Amino acid sequence: MNLLSILIFLPIAAALLILVLPSGFQQRFKYISLGVSMIQFVLSVFIYTHFNNTAAGINREEQFQLIEKLPWIRLDLGSIGKLEIDYFLGIDGLSMPFLMLSALVMFVASLASWEIKTNLKAYFSLFLLLNTAVMGVFCALDFFLFYIFYELMLLPLYFLIGMWGGARREYAAIKFFLYTLFGSVFMLLVIIGLYFSVLNPATGNHTFNMVLMMDPGNYINGSVFSAMAGQSILGISARLLAFIVLFIAFAIKVPIVPLHTWLPDAHVEAPTPVSIILAGLLLKVGGYGILRICFSIFPDAAIQSAWWIGLIGLISIIYGAMNALAQTDLKRLIAYSSISHMGFVLLGIASVTTEGLSGAMLQMISHGALSAMLFFLVGMIYNRVHDREISNFRGLAELMPQFTFFVMIAFFASLGLPGFSAFMAEAFSLIGAFTSEDVNGLLPRWMAIGASVGILLSAAYFLWTLQRMFFGQVRLKGGDTWKDQLVDVNTREKFALVPLAVLALLLGIFPSLLFDKMNASVLALVQLITG
Amino acid sequence: MEGLNFTENRSLIALLAAILPLFSFVFILASKKGGGANFALSTISLSFLLSIYLFSQVWNAEPEHKQLSWFLIGKVQFYAGILLNNLSVLMMVLVSGISVLVHIYSREYMKSDLNIHRYWAYLGLFCFSMLGLVISDSLLLIYLFWELVGFSSYLLIGFWFSKHAASQAAKKAFVINRIGDLGFLTGIMIIYTQFQTLDLARLFGDGGLISTSSVENGLWISGSQQMPVIWLSIAGFAFFLGAMAKSAQFPLHTWLPDAMEGPTSVSSLIHAATMVAAGVFLIARIYPVFDPLVLDVMVWIGAFTAFMAATIALTQNDIKRILAYSTISQLGFMVMALGIGAYSESIFHLTTHAFFKCLLFLAAGSVIHQIHHYCEKNSHDFDYQDIRLMGGLRKRMPFAFLGMCLASAALVGLPLTSGFLSKDSILIRAFEWAATREGVVVILPWLMVLTSWLTAFYIFRLVFKVFFGESREIKEDKLGHLNDSPVQMTYVLLILSFFCTFIVFAFNPASFESSWLWKGFQVSVIEEISIFHWMVPLILNFGSFVLIFITYKIYVLDKGLQSIEGTWFYRISNREWYFNEIYNFMFIRSVERISLLTYRFDRTVIDGLVISMATLTTTISFIIDWFDRKIIDGLVNATGSFSKYIGRFFRNFQSGRLQHYLTTMLLAVLSFFILSYLI
Amino acid sequence: MIPISHFMLISAGLFCIGLYAVLTRRNAIQVLIGIEFMINAAVLNFVAFGRYDKISGGGQMFALFAIVLAAAGVAVALAIILNVYKYFKSINPTKTDTLRD
Repeated sequence: MNLLSILIFLPIAAALLILVLPSGFQQRFKYISLGVSMIQFVLSVFIYTHFNNTAAGINREEQFQLIEKLPWIRLDLGSIGKLEIDYFLGIDGLSMPFLMLSALVMFVASLASWEIKTNLKAYFSLFLLLNTAVMGVFCALDFFLFYIFYELMLLPLYFLIGMWGGARREYAAIKFFLYTLFGSVFMLLVIIGLYFSVLNPATGNHTFNMVLMMDPGNYINGSVFSAMAGQSILGISARLLAFIVLFIAFAIKVPIVPLHTWLPDAHVEAPTPVSIILAGLLLKVGGYGILRICFSIFPDAAIQSAWWIGLIGLISIIYGAMNALAQTDLKRLIAYSSISHMGFVLLGIASVTTEGLSGAMLQMISHGALSAMLFFLVGMIYNRVHDREISNFRGLAELMPQFTFFVMIAFFASLGLPGFSAFMAEAFSLIGAFTSEDVNGLLPRWMAIGASVGILLSAAYFLWTLQRMFFGQVRLKGGDTWKDQLVDVNTREKFALVPLAVLALLLGIFPSLLFDKMNASVLALVQLITG
Repeated sequence: MEGLNFTENRSLIALLAAILPLFSFVFILASKKGGGANFALSTISLSFLLSIYLFSQVWNAEPEHKQLSWFLIGKVQFYAGILLNNLSVLMMVLVSGISVLVHIYSREYMKSDLNIHRYWAYLGLFCFSMLGLVISDSLLLIYLFWELVGFSSYLLIGFWFSKHAASQAAKKAFVINRIGDLGFLTGIMIIYTQFQTLDLARLFGDGGLISTSSVENGLWISGSQQMPVIWLSIAGFAFFLGAMAKSAQFPLHTWLPDAMEGPTSVSSLIHAATMVAAGVFLIARIYPVFDPLVLDVMVWIGAFTAFMAATIALTQNDIKRILAYSTISQLGFMVMALGIGAYSESIFHLTTHAFFKCLLFLAAGSVIHQIHHYCEKNSHDFDYQDIRLMGGLRKRMPFAFLGMCLASAALVGLPLTSGFLSKDSILIRAFEWAATREGVVVILPWLMVLTSWLTAFYIFRLVFKVFFGESREIKEDKLGHLNDSPVQMTYVLLILSFFCTFIVFAFNPASFESSWLWKGFQVSVIEEISIFHWMVPLILNFGSFVLIFITYKIYVLDKGLQSIEGTWFYRISNREWYFNEIYNFMFIRSVERISLLTYRFDRTVIDGLVISMATLTTTISFIIDWFDRKIIDGLVNATGSFSKYIGRFFRNFQSGRLQHYLTTMLLAVLSFFILSYLI
Repeated sequence: MIPISHFMLISAGLFCIGLYAVLTRRNAIQVLIGIEFMINAAVLNFVAFGRYDKISGGGQMFALFAIVLAAAGVAVALAIILNVYKYFKSINPTKTDTLRD
């Protein structure tokens, strides 16, 4: 049993345990889920420290680490050949950071799950199932396996939002589910197309192996997605079309403007732990997918569409920030700020420079930690008084000084204060986008300059919120009853918030902690895409 | 972090000096409420001593540059390190020295505040970021500390966060500084793209990349890298934008007057002496990157800012606001000086200004402090920053009066003060610069002279109003409670007063060329014209004295000029050229409106599109459902109901009545017969 | 000699009257009377056609036989009507519709 398999299937085992245990134990379930995420975190730290910085991975199967490859489904299909689906796991510098992030975010989400009071057995089994799916997505190297984990994420999320969410939870859950499903259904078509285009040189069978798909030499001559054949569908080059389909599938997750409208609804209606997972991990699956699949398998199409992707990133940054400025609901504000921040990821990726890609990766990790923190903080207020309307609060700094301290850390870190990870991430995404014109001519310089306005806007909406909610004289809508309910941060909440703040600070001061681990992979990826 | 190999300990000392205040920040924040004064003071004092030591080691000696690798991206290695030269050690001493004084002053000034430990912590953070800023060796690090300085300024302006105006001002300061930061970041992007490094020594040092890069055929070339030459200018403008925001230059100056909502000690340290000088420092540090076009813009922006701020200061009534505008005006002088190439003069003025402006604020602070106490004791409430309500404090607060007078004299540039040396040097350079050029620039030095005269007017207006005459609010019989500030504060005023005199900077009170400080930066490229060296100070000071006398007549002897209120000039000046209103209308309102519009767009158009897709789908499914039920299922049902109807028809015959049966039989037989008959 | 068609006409008239009574009367007794009419119409036919069998007089014999049978039938029918009356408290044949489905 490989470490990655343990990481992936530990939560499932715990979920089975929870299903078997009688309901009398249900107050203990949260400790089980907390314990699982702690073990996962320890494992991921172990993986991190034993990670080989020099092995790039990306399109070299032998350079992946902790590889586990077992034949899974082998079916003789007669004339079409043999169906070859592997249970193929492995990590490189692109996926390893996400394992740590997932474990950490899951840990925080488990701590946030204390607020869940009903139907605990179902909740925690779904929660752990989600954990498995997320871990699996980041480890899978077989496209079929990836797709299974990818879709497996949807199911628990649908129920978690739909059953434990807020007032409009059913609307939000179905919107989220259909939106993401819409993207991934077409992905399946591309997967099948790829399957029939790619041969495993070792066995001569068609294969779902992602790493093999990145090598143009493995494509059958004249097959749909063969770069040589130049097939076209509906007048568009088949590879470009496949790239666009895959990109849209992942971009819905990221999300990009204008495919983002599921996000504010889902984030706002979801219970706090689910919002944390949505913002902290789900969005990253989108970014990860774009890097691992879209750009790696279809580098030619990626180069062709880089300009548009950069533009989408720019629009997302500005548009998300403008919308965040207009919000009156704190949670919705943070949801829109996520759109804005994920725009930097897209911009960095589109630049296809080492600076841009490193910045985008760091931004994903950093945003994972910070958005988890932000949603946790919103959840704290909501739990206490069941209100999140910004105008209903004023002068919270005097009532809850420690809470305000954490809010300020989260806000300032998010708006890119140097010393925190978001600053490094955004700065290098922008630098990458700017240098792109000189390095590979993909993005014009004005995009980077335009996107930097997003940094200004993020300062505006975060500081405005800070001023409206936390400063000034104490004035609450709920009067004295709220005053009693709004107690300061307790120990459990500190346990959740401190690790996130520490991560953001560490990565901000020593970005090499992350850059060193993925530098080889980023270089290899740039090499693969630009050729 | 292996290989922390600072072979020479000068860099280590600099690092220690910068990090000490950070410790103070962390520990005081983690400690209990109410304390921290001693800890903060001792760390910053130690920092100061280390800076002094460093100054003695580095000043006019070989610059020191030590770095270690920070992180690696792709193939580009980023370094973090320390660059010590004349400029950085001077700034270190300046920052830590003034910080020590302000710390001592604040012990008394902020004594009664409940959250005093936060105050000390924030001051520590500020000192750390400012010291870090001046010793950093790469643009990225400078940017990092640059924003941290802005952040600590945000915290300190908003220290009394329960006051609405304070939190508003803090936000405004941060956001406007962010605009500058965007410029800075853009500059970094351009420099990085062109040179693949952000290291100051490699970029700007002797034979650095900037100086070896060349401009040919509209291309800016460095090694194999090239981009259109416009980007060189854009880089200059971008960095200058950063400096403009931090040094409160037009049009990004509006945050500084509002920042006066913070404690006066903070205004003195951050918004007068040190942080606002960071913009000038930045320009000085990366001076080679600016091309002539940018320098010309710098000249005009600086000159205009100086003039505009001086006109505004003429009619303000809030004591701190007058000083804030005076700061903006003096910063304009420095920026203008940098623009004309008077590099050393600008740094010189930066240094002298730091001391006398700090003194002005602290003296004003002790006036405010004492009046505040007077109000509390007599339960008498009025705006204790309004100079119209003050008066006659000369006899009650002699030390504050002395300090204020000396500092004002230095600000105006009267002989025997430090300001005489530095300010006149800038004006002399301005005349020399203009003499080599033609056209409209000739008026520039005269504009600066005019500004200088206005300075004399507004600052002595303040002095006369506060310290002479009679107060409307402070009653003579109760004045027993109003006297000079506690000794700690007074000592600080005295020390600073000493630093406003010429003796600290030069032995010859009439010649700035004899100043050790000026010599430390002497790189001047402007041709010297000796006539200006005695003419300019003469004209300037003559004018200043005349204006001070006029001011005395107006405000002490109460003669004339009171009718100026209500004129358009007064209104513009008093309302600060309507900048706040214009910005409010042009930017804040419009951004707010645009954001609401985009949100509505998001809800109605984009989400509306999604929802209408959903509605469309459900509508189509309704139609299909109808078709399915009515048409397709209808056919099936029709067969069923047909047989049902037939059955029902024949059921009618089964009535159970014999006579019916018989009738039916009869009819059947009859019809049978009829049929058989017919056929 | 009376032509045979006269007998047949009378007989047909009788039959029709009887049939009418059977089909329309709301009283079982009247229906019974109607049946008697029809039987008698048949008997009349037997007698009239007996003209063509003068030697063995089959027509007359059958007429007698039918009269006897009719008498026996009436007896049975009356007994049924009595029982119907007992059960339904009515001898209206439209009321006795329990054969209906």
